[in-house]
Amino acid sequence: MSLGTFVQLIIQGINMGLIYALAALAVSLIWNASGLFNFSQGDLLTLGGYFMLTFTVVALKLPYWVGFALAIVVMGTMGFFLSRSYFYPMINQKLNPQLILIGTVALSVVIRNAILNIWGPSAQRFDNPFGSKPILIGDAIIMPYQIVNIVIVIILVVLLQLFLRKTVMGIAMRAVAQKPVVSSLMGIKVEQLVSYTFLLSTCLASIAGVLTGPILPLIPEMGSLLSIKAFAAVLIGGLGSFSGALVGGLIVGISEVLFSTFITSTYKDVFIFLMMMIILQIRPGGIFRIEISEKV
Amino acid sequence: MNKALKILKDNFIYLAFIVVGLLPVFGLPNYQFYIVERGMQNALVVLSLVILLGFTGQLSLGHAGLVAVGAYFYAITVKNYGFSPWISLILAPVVTGLVGMLLAIPSFKLRGPFLVVNTIAFGEIVRILILNAVDFTGGPFGLKGIKPLFSGVYLYYFMLVVVLIFAIVTLRINKSHIGLAFKAIRDDEVAAEIIGVDVKKYKLLSFVISSIFAGVSGVFFANLTGYLNPDSFTFEISSTYLLMVVMGGMTSTTGGFLSALLVTALPEVLRFLADYRMVIYGLILLIYIRFYKVLDIKKIFSKLNFKKSSEVVE
Repeated sequence: MSLGTFVQLIIQGINMGLIYALAALAVSLIWNASGLFNFSQGDLLTLGGYFMLTFTVVALKLPYWVGFALAIVVMGTMGFFLSRSYFYPMINQKLNPQLILIGTVALSVVIRNAILNIWGPSAQRFDNPFGSKPILIGDAIIMPYQIVNIVIVIILVVLLQLFLRKTVMGIAMRAVAQKPVVSSLMGIKVEQLVSYTFLLSTCLASIAGVLTGPILPLIPEMGSLLSIKAFAAVLIGGLGSFSGALVGGLIVGISEVLFSTFITSTYKDVFIFLMMMIILQIRPGGIFRIEISEKV
Repeated sequence: MNKALKILKDNFIYLAFIVVGLLPVFGLPNYQFYIVERGMQNALVVLSLVILLGFTGQLSLGHAGLVAVGAYFYAITVKNYGFSPWISLILAPVVTGLVGMLLAIPSFKLRGPFLVVNTIAFGEIVRILILNAVDFTGGPFGLKGIKPLFSGVYLYYFMLVVVLIFAIVTLRINKSHIGLAFKAIRDDEVAAEIIGVDVKKYKLLSFVISSIFAGVSGVFFANLTGYLNPDSFTFEISSTYLLMVVMGGMTSTTGGFLSALLVTALPEVLRFLADYRMVIYGLILLIYIRFYKVLDIKKIFSKLNFKKSSEVVE
């Protein structure tokens, strides 16, 4: 195996890993804001992909970037109202956290079956405008979309960091994550903040969904497998940690690609899950363990 | 009069079983009858989750994996190795119990979402292994022609008796010192440890008992369908089990039994909605959980003075 092929594999792994990382980041953000572990994240991601499909291929035939923006806006609005009408009231009622968690499972059942009914069970794709002419670097074959995806995610991560550290709302989000009661005493409106965090997380989900487009064809069940790996990523990295979600996602993505190339692709998921179980036995809080008060 | 009413209410679970037991007499059409049978098979898994989630507070989304272990063990030993179905019926829960021990290990260290994702991963690993061990399990093509224990209505009554026994076992566990230890762990693990509950031991016990229930349910699944396929044991099925437990009030044995029957039948009842039935079914569960506190099924149950397992100390 030449170096070029290896680089190609790593880039492929990073691409997949960034998708997991985005989903993991969304899970982490919501966990921080509200102590809720969102099991429907994978299905929200799939939904984002399908919205993109509708906007660019099936119905409106918008250009790629316009469709992309519209998908983000639609999903964000949906997340906001979901939080207002569903998640926040449950958190506010001090419902058993396990029940809230099961509520997100129920939401994922609804979303998946709604997708199945609206868009049908067959695999679908939408085109990306970056062309399918591979770029040769040495003997590494790299697809244009792979580079674009990486650039998009890097920009996104930088923007998110700026948002969380420099804006009032971002700082409020971090405050709520650390000390919810104290921050509410400092005049932070927790309900609003939880809603905006959900908005942010569904936006992330839709971005991840659109970026998945060139990698995997869209099928209604896509969410379940993607989400389990995103959960593995978030736990490996450390639940609630920003860098943990990114590192966890990349670890899962890269090791998945390497394992399936060098050993066997049949058991790549088994490998990821066992890796997660072992890491969690050694380090129960994940790699970037942060002090979390027991929330569930 | 009041006294008679109280006896009736206290023994509601037996009444429920008698009603279900009389169903064949009314001559249900085959398909509806099959749905009731599936409901009873699901009721076993629900009881198993009542013990694990309701009593011990350990959330598992990998129970479909355990059911799969029971079902495939029964099918493979009976079909490929010519075991007597009865011996397999005894052995399958034992094996599932051993597998359940593995599932229990992560629970010693992990809590909340960490544990839940571990159980999901467990379920997926079992499914992937079954999918790929084509020589044993038939892989995606499945296993056909599994010899059942009984045929027709006898199987139904056998299941009814077994489910009744397991329901009584669940009620007894709830009242025993084991149940108290489980609930101590559920309410506060640290406090339980301080008052001298061996947390590891009881968590392990809870997982093993729960797995045994799931294993028996797996055997019944193989009996009912006569055909096994990895698609019957997905993550989605595990979440359906969980939703059944929640519908039943999480700690109530009677509630769990009834909700298993109802939720299994729900997609069939909603059949007139055609393709949208699964969406509506999900929405019903969604709304139910959203208004759990408002509806407060537990309060309603205790008002009706049903025998509710979490408040047995009388």
